[in-house]
Amino acid sequence: MTALLEVEGLSVAFRTRRGVVQALSQASVAVQPGQLLLVVGESGSGKTVLAHTMLRLLPRNVDVSGSVRLGGQELLDLPPGVLRRLRGRRMALIPQSPASSLNPVRRLGGQLLEAAQARGLTKQQARTRLRELLDEVGLDLDVVGGRYVHQLSGGMQQRIVNAMALVGAPDVVIADEPTSGLDADLVDTTAAQLRAISARGAALVVITHDLRLAQRLGGRLALLYASRIVEVGPTAAFFAAPAHPYGRELLRALPEREGKSIPGMSPQLTALPGHCAFADRCPDRFDRCTQTVPDLYPLPGGGLARCFAHAER
Amino acid sequence: MSASSGTLSASLRARGRLWQRLTDAVGRWPASVRVAAGVLVALVAAALLASIVAPLDNTAVDLDRVLEGPSAAHLMGTDEVGRDLLTRVLHGARISLTIAAAAALAAVAAGTLVGVLAGTLGGRIDAVLMRVTDVFASQNHFLFGVLLLVLFRPALGGAGAVMLAVGLTHWPSLARIVRGELMSLRERPFVAAAVGGGANRRRLVRRHYLPHLLPAVGLAFVLTVPHAIFHESAYSFLGLGLPAHQASLGNILADGQRSLLAGGWWIALFPGLAMLAAAMTTGTIAEYWREHLHPRWRSELEL
Amino acid sequence: MLSAEAITKRFGGRSGAVVAVDRVSLTVERGARLGLVGPSGSGKSTLAQIIAMLLAPDSGVLTIDGDRVDTWGARCSRELRHRVQLVFQAPRIAVDPRLRIGDAILEPLAASGTLPSVADERGELLRTWATRVGLTADLLERFPHEVSEGQLQRACLARALVVRPRYLICDELSSMLDVSTQAALLETIAAVQDEQDLAVLLITHDRVLADTWCGQIADIRELSTRDQQCPPPLPSSPVSTRA
Repeated sequence: MTALLEVEGLSVAFRTRRGVVQALSQASVAVQPGQLLLVVGESGSGKTVLAHTMLRLLPRNVDVSGSVRLGGQELLDLPPGVLRRLRGRRMALIPQSPASSLNPVRRLGGQLLEAAQARGLTKQQARTRLRELLDEVGLDLDVVGGRYVHQLSGGMQQRIVNAMALVGAPDVVIADEPTSGLDADLVDTTAAQLRAISARGAALVVITHDLRLAQRLGGRLALLYASRIVEVGPTAAFFAAPAHPYGRELLRALPEREGKSIPGMSPQLTALPGHCAFADRCPDRFDRCTQTVPDLYPLPGGGLARCFAHAER
Repeated sequence: MSASSGTLSASLRARGRLWQRLTDAVGRWPASVRVAAGVLVALVAAALLASIVAPLDNTAVDLDRVLEGPSAAHLMGTDEVGRDLLTRVLHGARISLTIAAAAALAAVAAGTLVGVLAGTLGGRIDAVLMRVTDVFASQNHFLFGVLLLVLFRPALGGAGAVMLAVGLTHWPSLARIVRGELMSLRERPFVAAAVGGGANRRRLVRRHYLPHLLPAVGLAFVLTVPHAIFHESAYSFLGLGLPAHQASLGNILADGQRSLLAGGWWIALFPGLAMLAAAMTTGTIAEYWREHLHPRWRSELEL
Repeated sequence: MLSAEAITKRFGGRSGAVVAVDRVSLTVERGARLGLVGPSGSGKSTLAQIIAMLLAPDSGVLTIDGDRVDTWGARCSRELRHRVQLVFQAPRIAVDPRLRIGDAILEPLAASGTLPSVADERGELLRTWATRVGLTADLLERFPHEVSEGQLQRACLARALVVRPRYLICDELSSMLDVSTQAALLETIAAVQDEQDLAVLLITHDRVLADTWCGQIADIRELSTRDQQCPPPLPSSPVSTRA
């Protein structure tokens, strides 16, 4: 069965003053409708770039190779006009900080309606749909519509931005760091809202560095390190028994486990080594690890890990 | 100011870095800016080296060749007493540019000073300074300048009075910009962190505020120079600015007006072209600079 | 001991004054690890800035090791100022974008005139602290926009520790960072705590972190003395470091 959203061999490089920044290397993932994919990694690991490339929200100084397909249709060579229609209707983004994606000097009602209409709905349809969506998260369009962004709490802003993403009934929703800066109690609410989005049948991609959120959300998880996917598989399996040493060490750093940091630092994306990028910091490395880049090897549980320790299978 | 060991090697590296950054920067300029910069540099160089570059003596009067149009001997023609116009324009440009630069510098210095004082001291001082700024800003540039010239020309002489006139009419806008920048800078956590580290106000201004302000201040200077050139020319044209023997482009233009009736179109045209060149080149560079200063306003996304 | 009594701070607003901090009292013992929790908007950051003497309260008394704080902001005495240091939540806006990382770390010493005059000594001091927070030497020459958030926060921590404070306030130190960097920062802080009897006030919305790392936890909402005559003293025994 063709996956709804399929990324294959995606590589993204930025041409900057300091040199070429290899933000993503040969990434391949697939998401089915109703499925939840978590993209986890530290800042600079390539997770945001992966999400943005799916929507082709990239600056001018990039080189992209590989393929991103939505329902079988290749996205990377679509003309801008077609792409714009796709965004918002078939693919939607829930951006990182809700407040900054809303216009601070307009009342919410106006801008929400306008945004909905931009996705192809008539004014009446927009009003009805927005009312429905906001109602589902406990907000009243009439009350909220008359307010300005700064008059609402962070949690409310997040709910509005989530609702906005769903207006066009998209097939794919991408949430970029949905819990950055949120309180612990709001994290639970957000997790619930995200699962609800997934339950509607959309394919949900959640980018986050928050491991606790990831654990709560379940689904499948793709772990990124230094521009490469190093582990993919069911989230529950990852938290129970991570296969890749980076994943293992990362979980050890959780305060509720050992709170132990990983020595050293991730390599610079301008100077990626020609071998396993984690080798320098890996407690289990052997000779082969400092010679070539490992492929993604299959794991018994159905996942993949980019580690030579799992190569003999 | 790098804290690494070896002051000599550090300063050499710093200079190397600076040169590298300069060449990198120039490489990134679009063609239009490079052309403008080239023309401006040539213009400024020619003006500054007027005594060397000019073909003839500035005061050489040749009554045999009065009011001759452009020719091989006199590329821009001659004026009503036979002086070579090209020579006059070069010398005039030097005077005009020098006075304009000095005037712009005065305006920028005053504006920065007021803006920094108002922005850092706040409170009543800020209020008072801003009201003073408003008073100056609400004056009509030109008429106010004329008033200042009339009042101060006897005491300061033509050049001095023109610098004062331009300086006092152009500092308010920069003062407001500097103050605005400072007010937003003060809100940023890194200023709080600097205070937390023990910085007093003077150190904040010197180490943190001024480096942030310099690009905007520099830009304001570049933008004020064409204004200053026009003002000076206008005042001199009216006879209020530089005296006739200190021929600036404005004085030459005034002569040109008289000669126009006699058919001498070149005397009015060439000084005007020189002024236009100065204004357009600085304008182009300033526009690019201004866009460059606020990269966050540029959308880099392929939308 | 650092003692804050009945600290109140209001901010003017169009709909009337907003009370950010309402008669909050707090004590921190040398060597202690106190976690401060509470929902967003409850005034934790404002309180942190007041305790770090960056913001003057409307009322209340702040006493640090017996010295009462009378002046705030840039007018505060440097000696007093260096006793309390604050690490901010978002490292990218907490550093001057025009300073190299190395210069930024030593800036507090330069500002108070206590920077070693010999260049080699300066380099040594910088390298020591850089190593302690896990920064490599090549990063010290870079500008903030050339390093990652995690590396920047390590630099901010070094900047706070270089003046050898007695009290360190961490305002959501790592909410924007991955767990490994968070662990690394806390490990550095723990090591310095052991050496210098440093007290740490850890402001966080991560309850699990507060429970595991801190010896005591206080909810800012319960620290208000609005309904009480005198604040009950918090349990003040310094915590032993986790093995």
